[in-house]
Amino acid sequence: MSLVGVMVLALIMGFIINRGVGLLTWDLLIGDYHPTTYNLSLPTTESLGGFARPNDLDESAFFSQMWGLGLMDDVDFEGKAVVRVIYVDAQSPLQMMRDKNNLERVVGLFPGLALEKVIFSDLTIGLSRTKAENFIILFDTHEGINDLLAVSSGNGIRGAIITTGLLIGFALMIALPIGIFSAVYLHEFAPKNNAFIHTMRKMIDTLSGVPSIVYGLMGAAVFIPFTSRISKAEGGNLFSGALTLAVMVLPIIISATIDALRAVPDDYRKASLALGANHTQTTFRIVIKSAVPGIMSAVLLSVGRMIGESAALIYAVGTAIKDHIILTEKSASLAVFIWSVMAGEVPNFELACSVAIIIMAVVLFINVLIKLVARRFTLLP
Amino acid sequence: MNTFDVRELVLTYDGKAALQHVSMNIIPKQVTALIGPSGCGKSSLLRCLNRMNDLIDGCNVEGEILFHGENIYAKNYNVYELRTKVGMVFQKPSPFPMSIFDNVAYGPRCQGINDKKTLENIVKKALVDAALYDEVKERLKESAMALSGGQQQRLSIARTIAMQPEVILMDEPTSALDPIATGKIEELIFDLKKHYTIVIVTHNMQQAARISDYTAFFLMGNLVEFNTTEQIFRQPTQAKTEEYITGRFG
Amino acid sequence: MIVKIDPEANRRTQKSKRFIWMKHSDRFMKGLLMVPTLMSASFVIFIVGFISRKGIAPFLPSVYGSERVNAFSFLSGTTWFVPPNVYGILFIVINTLYIVALSTLISVPLSVASALFVTRILPKKLQGVFKSIIELLAAIPSVIYGVFGLGIIAKSVVRLAELFHAQTAGGISTLTTIIVLAIMIYPTITMMSVAAISAVDPALEHHSLALGATKVQTMTKVTLASAKPGIFTGIILGVGRALGEATAVSMVAGNAGSGPSLMLFSTTRTLTSTMLLGLKETSGMDYDIRFSVGLVLIGVIFVSNFILAHFKKKVGRFS
Repeated sequence: MSLVGVMVLALIMGFIINRGVGLLTWDLLIGDYHPTTYNLSLPTTESLGGFARPNDLDESAFFSQMWGLGLMDDVDFEGKAVVRVIYVDAQSPLQMMRDKNNLERVVGLFPGLALEKVIFSDLTIGLSRTKAENFIILFDTHEGINDLLAVSSGNGIRGAIITTGLLIGFALMIALPIGIFSAVYLHEFAPKNNAFIHTMRKMIDTLSGVPSIVYGLMGAAVFIPFTSRISKAEGGNLFSGALTLAVMVLPIIISATIDALRAVPDDYRKASLALGANHTQTTFRIVIKSAVPGIMSAVLLSVGRMIGESAALIYAVGTAIKDHIILTEKSASLAVFIWSVMAGEVPNFELACSVAIIIMAVVLFINVLIKLVARRFTLLP
Repeated sequence: MNTFDVRELVLTYDGKAALQHVSMNIIPKQVTALIGPSGCGKSSLLRCLNRMNDLIDGCNVEGEILFHGENIYAKNYNVYELRTKVGMVFQKPSPFPMSIFDNVAYGPRCQGINDKKTLENIVKKALVDAALYDEVKERLKESAMALSGGQQQRLSIARTIAMQPEVILMDEPTSALDPIATGKIEELIFDLKKHYTIVIVTHNMQQAARISDYTAFFLMGNLVEFNTTEQIFRQPTQAKTEEYITGRFG
Repeated sequence: MIVKIDPEANRRTQKSKRFIWMKHSDRFMKGLLMVPTLMSASFVIFIVGFISRKGIAPFLPSVYGSERVNAFSFLSGTTWFVPPNVYGILFIVINTLYIVALSTLISVPLSVASALFVTRILPKKLQGVFKSIIELLAAIPSVIYGVFGLGIIAKSVVRLAELFHAQTAGGISTLTTIIVLAIMIYPTITMMSVAAISAVDPALEHHSLALGATKVQTMTKVTLASAKPGIFTGIILGVGRALGEATAVSMVAGNAGSGPSLMLFSTTRTLTSTMLLGLKETSGMDYDIRFSVGLVLIGVIFVSNFILAHFKKKVGRFS
């Protein structure tokens, strides 16, 4: 009966790994979410021919010696067959194509794109349902390209990763100083047995019992108008999100720092004061230095809490998945990303689970770090 | 002139009396031992001399303690200055979690001395005077936590004398040490007394008899007898003193 | 006449200047550090204050005029939204309490049994492993529980419903919500129970065994009885978490329009799912009313904490 815990954990991890591992590729991490269509043309064809097939090219790939191009059959997220570009030689003329929408812009064909349609100079058309092998044959028998349509795969989480990083970074920048100094005041400087101090502590303790969604409401009610007024943000943005997260982790930081300060032996303080130092010197030169491992735990705990946070951010930032992250606009963090792709008519389980694997990996890593820091903490005399 | 003049000192913790109308003086450049059974108030008196009792909640002091004629419990008396002139060595060495050098340099740095050369000289002199320099001169930058108990205690003494105090208070400095380390510290005290006034609290009567010039015997917050050590141990005038010394109680 | 500068006096003045600085820097630092502390302490007030301001707005004639929501019908309504301005929350509160109560009922026995298992039956070496597993469960973000709930629990509930010849909306139902919540609060209650049971003096158990009681009797009558206050704290924490859980619940509840939904296979709506789902605009009545729901949620958490704390005192009377 008590193996319930183990069973449940195994079930959950098993499920998300099962559904999600398929999509875990490097492209997922650095790719855009929204598919981009590239409409390219090639004005001139110089330097054709003479390209050698690279040794590390996948065996099932087909290579055009004339263009220095490697293509492979692949499937996209929906299971549709596509022809994927997997290699473009540095010297290939395909590196110097022009964007048909902006003829000034030079765009090189790059690996990861799916070829949709190629219209060669003699108006022969290659379509995406042509297999890679045939496409290569077409390339090898033509010397000019009028039009090339390629699509980037999308469903990448680069935007979400950057958003999450920015949110956590800014939140820590705000919450750490406020939290640490509050803790230092409460433990080292505040008068004991004082009713006012006691009330303040109680109020900080209450903060830790507040559910995430209430933090979200607060963020929406307080920080969105605030940031809108002091910047050109309109509505939810990364600053309002960071501020909301900062308030959320503040009790964690204060509590962990107070624990760390409590663990510093009083003998240090006595020795320091007996040498003629004052309270400030004692606290900052000795006590805080000794409490650093505990403060590191505080940071780790906070990051662990923030990385999975969804409800608060849905309200305080928004749910729009973005590829190009702007601080004064809304953007989805990793957890909110999962929420977004699961909402709607057809939930995208695969993508959600891939992101879930990433989040869990980070959470696991943080938990291990916390244990390591704790061990080092108790070993220090 | 006496270093300290204690006048009618009454000390209470949360209303409970720890010292009752104690009056005595501390003679300069001599070792004065405070002895008595547990709870008699000797440590409390020691802590009054550098106002470390201020740190204890609920502690209340009446009476006066004059340091060079000035009452240290006066309203605007500068307690930080007092503590640089009256140093204290505790029972537990508690080296700071820093290098040996930084430990000794801590006090001077807090007083604003930051010149590298000056600090080096101060640290070296303090370690030499504390009979520790030879043992650590190769590893000044290493952590102080790696030293043995006896070495750590001598480090505490070095830390204190780096401040160039006049008085060194010692609260049971050898209770936590083995006999060899204890012996080294006692030897050190003999040397130190040439330059510093020393007040030592000890529950070890033999130690008091060995190293002190003057002894004060306390019982339940009262100063029972204060005299030269020779007098106290050979011909105590109070019956209680004799009982304590001969081991009949405490 | 040459005025001699007395170096000793100079040093004395320098020293006393320094010592005055030391005293004042302490006072300054104390004052300086009070600022972030006051900030931290005041956030609670901010939260309640600003949410109240937005949450009361829908009911105020000054804000919404004739379109305002009637507070009484809001608090007693059994349909969430009847255009243009009728909102009802009573059924949602009932749903929420119903779901949380059932989740707690499922989770507590499992948690306590697990805690007993980990602390009393498991060999020391494995105890650390189990504790880590439970800590990991506690660290899983809600959204992932939501995905899991939709993926596995919902599907299982569909199959279960077929057994009973009942209809479900793809597994999105009250039962799914209850199960997901029970799983989510299980680690919280277990961890607190482990701490509480570990704190029980083993001497008590030895006495009990020495008096002839069996291991089971000892565990139930003595160990658990002593650990009751701690276990109860765990329950209070668990209930608090369940009441406030938004993301996972929103993914598996379904957000039924009216209710209350007491049938296990029907969709349901909780206070948190109301707040999180159907967000279309970020201003206006529909948006502001969610703050009102938030206020009700805060109220429910507050009251339940209060009641449970009261119970805890009664339960811990003999500890």
